[in-house]
Amino acid sequence: MYHLITGLYKQITRKDEYNVLILGLDNAGKSTFLETAKTRFTKNYKGMNLNYITTTVGLNIGQIEIAGIRLSFWDLGGQKELQSLWDKYYDESHAVIYVIDSNDRERMNESKELFDKMIKNEYLSGVPLLILANKQDLEDCMGVRDIKPVFQQHGHLIGRRDCLTIPTSGLTGEGVNEAIMWLVEALKRNSIVRPPKTLD
Amino acid sequence: MGGLISYFRGLLGSREMRILILGLDGAGKTTILYRLQVGEVVTTIPTIGFNVEQVTYKNLKFQVWDLGGQTSIRPYWRCYYSNTDAIIYVVDSADKDRIGISKDELLYMLREEELAGAILLVLANKQDIEGCLSVAEVHQALGLDALKNRTFQIFKTSATKGEGLDQAMDWLSNVLQSKK
Repeated sequence: MYHLITGLYKQITRKDEYNVLILGLDNAGKSTFLETAKTRFTKNYKGMNLNYITTTVGLNIGQIEIAGIRLSFWDLGGQKELQSLWDKYYDESHAVIYVIDSNDRERMNESKELFDKMIKNEYLSGVPLLILANKQDLEDCMGVRDIKPVFQQHGHLIGRRDCLTIPTSGLTGEGVNEAIMWLVEALKRNSIVRPPKTLD
Repeated sequence: MGGLISYFRGLLGSREMRILILGLDGAGKTTILYRLQVGEVVTTIPTIGFNVEQVTYKNLKFQVWDLGGQTSIRPYWRCYYSNTDAIIYVVDSADKDRIGISKDELLYMLREEELAGAILLVLANKQDIEGCLSVAEVHQALGLDALKNRTFQIFKTSATKGEGLDQAMDWLSNVLQSKK
């Protein structure tokens, strides 16, 4: 009887944890997106002042509990010299959010090449990809319609994994809810391939 | 109701934040502490024991503990770990010979349960010295990619020239404020 009750209790309180990596060039808006997501999905969390978010040289973490699972985010620095550190996180990641500054036409190609290099990595094969055409609050920025083809030039690299491109703005919060909700579904769909860590 | 109370408490300015400055001897901890407190470079001697000062930075009050970094006194760091909000870990970026020791001390320290919730700020200090390690090199040398459950950030600083400290403190106060 005792085992039945504790077993049931564990079943109810059990949480599956998924690691989500946030990548992209420096100044794409990765940390701001994470802060906004944390603020929206965490009760009583005040959040950082978005205007004071500086260049990340290190790691920002964040956790969101939603729909019975826990998302653990790793937001890494995007500067050139820090990109070599990304692959240290690949084998433990369950999904990747790739953030693009939609207003930075000059670096669009650089961002795309970085993206290709990332998805080629065998440790990321099969993980869901969420591409954010970020900074949609800026008037002159490129829309999803223009950005999507750029990042799908090498569509075969994306392969059969779940992949979605959506317009967002970390500052105004546009698209943040959709992004997280899609991620939750994609992670659950992919949990047979990459099972979550189970937390008691 | 609880939310309302904590809101007003926030307005009145809540408890002081407790910060430890740690690192090997000669990394520049004491110089950084007094740079933050009085805004000047003071002549320091190796710290045996600790210096503790109250530092106010943009309306945030910090109680900053600067602990001596020599081999013989490092074991005593742990006596100060409880209730720590953040650790400022200072590295001498020009001391390539001892960066390995610095890494070991850091990883050893972060294993402590009492520091599980503490934010880590690494200062790659002495950037004014030519040929010193870059930020990415310090990141790698300290093995920081192994830290996967803690927010941390590295800043380049030169305490004697006063460079980089403002950005570092801005980041720290912003992160600490969101944690309250």
